[in-house]
Amino acid sequence: MRKVWTLYHKEMLEALRSYKLIWVPVVFMILGIMQPLTTYYMPEILKASGNVPPGMLEGYEMPGAAVVMAQTLGQYGTIGMLILVLGVMNSLAGERSGGTIEMLMVKPVAPAAIVSAKWAAQLTTLIVALGLGVAGAAYYTEQLMGPLSWGRLCAGAGLYGLWLLCAVSLTLLFSAWLRGPAAAFLGLGSAAAMSLAHSLLPSQLGWTPAALTAQSAAIITEGRGGTWGPACSAGVLIVVCLAAASLLIRRNKLPD
Amino acid sequence: MPLLQVANLRKVYGEHTSVDGISFDIEAGKCVALLGPNGAGKTTTLRMLAGLLQPSSGLISFDGGSGVDYRSLLGYLPQSPAFYSWMSGQEYVVFAAKLCGISSSEAGRLAADALEHVGLKDVSRRKIAGYSGGMKQRLGLAQALVHRPRLLLLDEPVSALDPIGRREVMELLRGIREETTIIFSTHVLHDAEEICDDIILMNHGLIAEQGTLSRLRSQYSLPVIRLSTGMDEKALGWLQDLAHRSFVEQSVIYSGSATLNVSDMELARRTILQEAASLDISLLQFEAGSSTLEDLFMKVVGA
Repeated sequence: MRKVWTLYHKEMLEALRSYKLIWVPVVFMILGIMQPLTTYYMPEILKASGNVPPGMLEGYEMPGAAVVMAQTLGQYGTIGMLILVLGVMNSLAGERSGGTIEMLMVKPVAPAAIVSAKWAAQLTTLIVALGLGVAGAAYYTEQLMGPLSWGRLCAGAGLYGLWLLCAVSLTLLFSAWLRGPAAAFLGLGSAAAMSLAHSLLPSQLGWTPAALTAQSAAIITEGRGGTWGPACSAGVLIVVCLAAASLLIRRNKLPD
Repeated sequence: MPLLQVANLRKVYGEHTSVDGISFDIEAGKCVALLGPNGAGKTTTLRMLAGLLQPSSGLISFDGGSGVDYRSLLGYLPQSPAFYSWMSGQEYVVFAAKLCGISSSEAGRLAADALEHVGLKDVSRRKIAGYSGGMKQRLGLAQALVHRPRLLLLDEPVSALDPIGRREVMELLRGIREETTIIFSTHVLHDAEEICDDIILMNHGLIAEQGTLSRLRSQYSLPVIRLSTGMDEKALGWLQDLAHRSFVEQSVIYSGSATLNVSDMELARRTILQEAASLDISLLQFEAGSSTLEDLFMKVVGA
């Protein structure tokens, strides 16, 4: 356990020295704050742009605070996920191609310890980024739109975070046997495929991790989440990814 | 009881056999060179010993036990060590020590010792990105030594260094070999001769020759006569004729010069010099000496 902590400490030090621990949360905060601001000032923005047909703005209805927060989380599902995946794609692939893994694997360290330390570091980045992003968004939403239920918001953000963590774990798995860009492509691709499959067959695939996004929105806006199925399947998916990644880096060929 | 016993170790990659059934023992406290040309299977062997590669078959037993994880008793330096360039030398060695299960305070102390030992104390706070090749190699030695391993595996520790860096690392190894058992691979015979007790000579995945340096030296220092003559027909004919004398065991004759492995140096010398005088051969050069390990190396490598 102490070795996992040592490896985790190294990962966090790297995240800090490469400023990843700073710029990822900053991007998440900007994304989060933009959503309530653009929603609130949309009539102004449209007016300023000039050629708006008369009568169009009269139909504009300010969405409720909860809806704006659900939309904010939706932002993280696209750009936010892209940033997280690009951040994780080289975590194992880079150590393999750079050769640093050779000196790591020769130490009495289990491959699972290396993978779980990397995963925990990614989780930390995700929690910091999502936490600050949602907090920023919630602050402006409360100021501009009205009160929010913080309990529901936390539950919703947690579920959304779990979905993002699925994509991160998948990318980590691919990073254990492919080059970084290919890992990112496959990580995003498999997350997109799960979303697509879920939207095509929502009733059959309601238990998959892809249902987490809809569940998160439902909790924030209506206060009811539904079953534990998606969260459980997400947990299983993450564990499988970590175990498979551990097996893969043990078996992988070393650079010549 | 030998520290390390290797029996019938093989590594096969698909069609290609990289290491083809090698066996050797290494006594504690020895310094052993794994010598051979590039592609002989040295790196593969060391990686199997280090537990980085699973052998296709064969047995490695460390300190009498086989199949146990002895990585905490092992120090390993790969051929081209890659470090986290954003770390400082100090941080890297502490990190390496902690991964071997050493507590934080102890790791700091051991790391400082190791860095001082390899002469990196003054630059230990600098980022590794700014280190030279020789400094990186010495840092690699520090991380391999920090947990006081019983066996040190070094893969081509000096091959990529300039003469000054090479000198530094060889001097360090000379000191380290007093404290621990070392196996290092090299394709330079001279490096092996400089600090090793034993040599394992590999080629095409097989052990061509192994033994103590002194035994190999005496075994392979055969009496050799090298001579060259003018290029006239009489002399060339005489050289060809010499190859068939009873005292010549092996001969290489090439455009006016001959290298003869002889059984009886006295007889050979007398015969050759007398004949050269009586036949009036234009003898240009005559040398009576012994063959060297270099000759053995070249013979094994097949050059």
